[in-house]
Amino acid sequence: MKKTLLPPLIPLVVVTLMAEFLVREGFVRAYLVPAPSAVLRAMMDSRMELVQALLSTSAGALTGFVMSALTGIAIAVLLSSSRGVQRAFYPYAIFFQTVPLIAVAPLLVIWFGFGIQTVIASAFVASVFPVIANTLSGILSTDPPLRDLFKLYGASPLVTLFKLRLPAALPQVFTGLRVSAGLAVIGAIVGEFIAGGGLGSVVEIARTQQRIDKVFAAVLLASLLGLGLFGLINLLSHLTLRRWHASEQAQ
Amino acid sequence: MLRRAFLKTVPALGLLTACSKPSRMKLALNWKPEPEFGGFYAAPYSKHGLTVEVLPGGTGTPTVQMVGAGSVDFGIVSADEVILARSKGNDVVALFAVFQDSPTGIMAHASRNLTSIGDVLKEGTLALESGLPFARLLKRKFGFDHVKIVPSPGGDITSFLHDEKFAQQCYLTSEPIAARRKGVAVKVFAVSDIGYNPYTTVLAISGESLRKNPDTAKAMVAAVREGWRSYLDDPKAVNEQMNRLNPTMDLETFAEVAEAQKPFIETDATRRNGLGTMSRERWETLIEQFKELGDISQTIPAEDCFRLL
Amino acid sequence: MLHEVGHARRVTSTISRGVAVQLEGVRRVFDHNHVVIAGMDLRIETGEFLAVLGPSGCGKSTLLRMIARLAEPDAGQIRIEPKGERFQTAFVFQDAHLLPWRNVLANAALPLELMGEAKPERDERARAVLEQVGLLEALDRYPAELSGGMRMRVSLARALVTEPRLLLLDEPFAALDEITRFHLDVRLRELWQRRGMTVIFVTHSVSEAAFLANRAVVLGKSGGAIKLDRRLELPAVRDNELRGDPRLGKEMRLLLGAIEE
Repeated sequence: MKKTLLPPLIPLVVVTLMAEFLVREGFVRAYLVPAPSAVLRAMMDSRMELVQALLSTSAGALTGFVMSALTGIAIAVLLSSSRGVQRAFYPYAIFFQTVPLIAVAPLLVIWFGFGIQTVIASAFVASVFPVIANTLSGILSTDPPLRDLFKLYGASPLVTLFKLRLPAALPQVFTGLRVSAGLAVIGAIVGEFIAGGGLGSVVEIARTQQRIDKVFAAVLLASLLGLGLFGLINLLSHLTLRRWHASEQAQ
Repeated sequence: MLRRAFLKTVPALGLLTACSKPSRMKLALNWKPEPEFGGFYAAPYSKHGLTVEVLPGGTGTPTVQMVGAGSVDFGIVSADEVILARSKGNDVVALFAVFQDSPTGIMAHASRNLTSIGDVLKEGTLALESGLPFARLLKRKFGFDHVKIVPSPGGDITSFLHDEKFAQQCYLTSEPIAARRKGVAVKVFAVSDIGYNPYTTVLAISGESLRKNPDTAKAMVAAVREGWRSYLDDPKAVNEQMNRLNPTMDLETFAEVAEAQKPFIETDATRRNGLGTMSRERWETLIEQFKELGDISQTIPAEDCFRLL
Repeated sequence: MLHEVGHARRVTSTISRGVAVQLEGVRRVFDHNHVVIAGMDLRIETGEFLAVLGPSGCGKSTLLRMIARLAEPDAGQIRIEPKGERFQTAFVFQDAHLLPWRNVLANAALPLELMGEAKPERDERARAVLEQVGLLEALDRYPAELSGGMRMRVSLARALVTEPRLLLLDEPFAALDEITRFHLDVRLRELWQRRGMTVIFVTHSVSEAAFLANRAVVLGKSGGAIKLDRRLELPAVRDNELRGDPRLGKEMRLLLGAIEE
């Protein structure tokens, strides 16, 4: 515990103290960068509002993420069924990765309306591709000798998929989920800029009020949300792969 | 004697070279090039010894911070932004107010037969920038209990067109015209009706720059004033220039908006004191309103907020 | 002979339970012009332990995969006599290739699971065969916790669990240390003698081929031409004592000579 928590804390404390000093002494203007103490004060003063916003963004991000995970894995399974299917549909999966979310979000509002459904849709669009890409890669990279083994005993493609290829792909699925988690939070916040609610809304309103301390407070909470989700996936990965994967054994 | 004459001419020559070389400056707009900025594109900067680069903006361009931080020489802000900034220690000063009356308002479908701004808040959806002072003023006066508040779509009227119960914040000179062109009759309510009327599309400079180069600031204001006069008299050429930079609005709309915004820009006050003029009373009223809203804790002196050059 | 292993009911006997494999004119070409095997004729008798030797790239692994029906020849045919049941062939790869998310017992039972056998029965049979390779204490362990040698033993057990008539091995012990190799060689030979199946063992190692097999075939560098086909003159019972026996050395020299030629 000490080994993992202590080292990152040291630079954090140093930077925070430096920032506090620089702003207090006027080397950095307070309306451009808030002093850490001001950020903390903003968090305390607006704690009810921020907690509610955090819960709202969490709900949107988490729902979008779970949808990404399920849909992404399903799409990857479908794409793995044949080369033809892959060639026909994979480019569309890439579309989800490359489309600039901030340009698509206004469209999402028109289709889904103002409310958490758009936030979820935005989180989904932002986070689905890594799941598809990593899961597909995992499914397709199954050991040829193992595929031979299943073939030798007459296993159907479906049996091979569920008993061999999907379990073998799990480590890569988790890699995809790890990336996807952070993107889901970003997607949710972008969605909130346009559709309202949650931490995105707090940032937007605080920005127009020139309350940069509150902006920082909201952004900090958003990062903690992303970190939390990431940690959750890591935990899940550890529990699932614990006994059998080299990446977990090394811990 | 020759030495004395020499000593006199050298600094004079220096001054001459400084004046004849225009320094390259940046003016940051807080939105895309539209008729509200026409005078800034029309201004004869070089005639006043200036080279000015006009930088278009967009959603959330932080012009008041950019001016304060010195990353641009001039910026377009609104008077309420100036007051808020100054209260946070950001020394920006207003020089020229294009819109004497705020063109901010709310537009709703005419079919709803609403009679006053309060009616908009009785049902349906209202898109606002909730952080802005006028939004909070509205909330305080009428309450948001019966209306769904959503973020302002920033000039986009798609949601408005598709939903009869959808009302949105707008510039009275802009979105209503676009809506009418799409065949939707609108009813508009000016925010100034509830007594909130900040100067809008205001040219601002940092206090430091103003103190260091008062002549440059003066030249800028003079150029801008000429530009606005020229744009008000004939906007056509500048509209074409701005349309090239911002093709999302067609030329016909440019012309309509340029016409519709005239009564906001040219008023009795400007006819008396010149385009862009500002008065201490107006600033004091605004500062009082901010104090009431609780956005600023102490009064700030109105005379610090603006300078007439 | 009845093997009493727990509650096992199966009877294994030493009567030959192998098959004969007949290759006629077998040809295999890669990428349109790389002829890996050019018209091979070969007959492997029932119950034989055949070692296949040759330099890298000579087609030994391809040959094995074709016999296992994992690949099809481009010309010629491969017959297995008698035709018999399905799944009478088993394959042991160069690496153990176990499923890392299953324990040792589940890995060994995998072929039976794929063939549709019920859990109690297949676990029973898996337990029995795991005992034969000396892994009864490791049933609950996962592959990540096992040594290389133990993993290969699980792989062997997995191959034997269906009581195959034809066992194909592709350099299975190549990645293991010598001591483990020697042990597994002895075990494999014992298992062959007990069950009577036909074994085809591909290897690089001349000493291993000589130790294990009763017949050895040496393939040429390309095209799979048979350079040597010899019945080894060695005793039926082979243990580590044989390693120092000059007769083994003689066979090894013969095989080596054929490879180097």
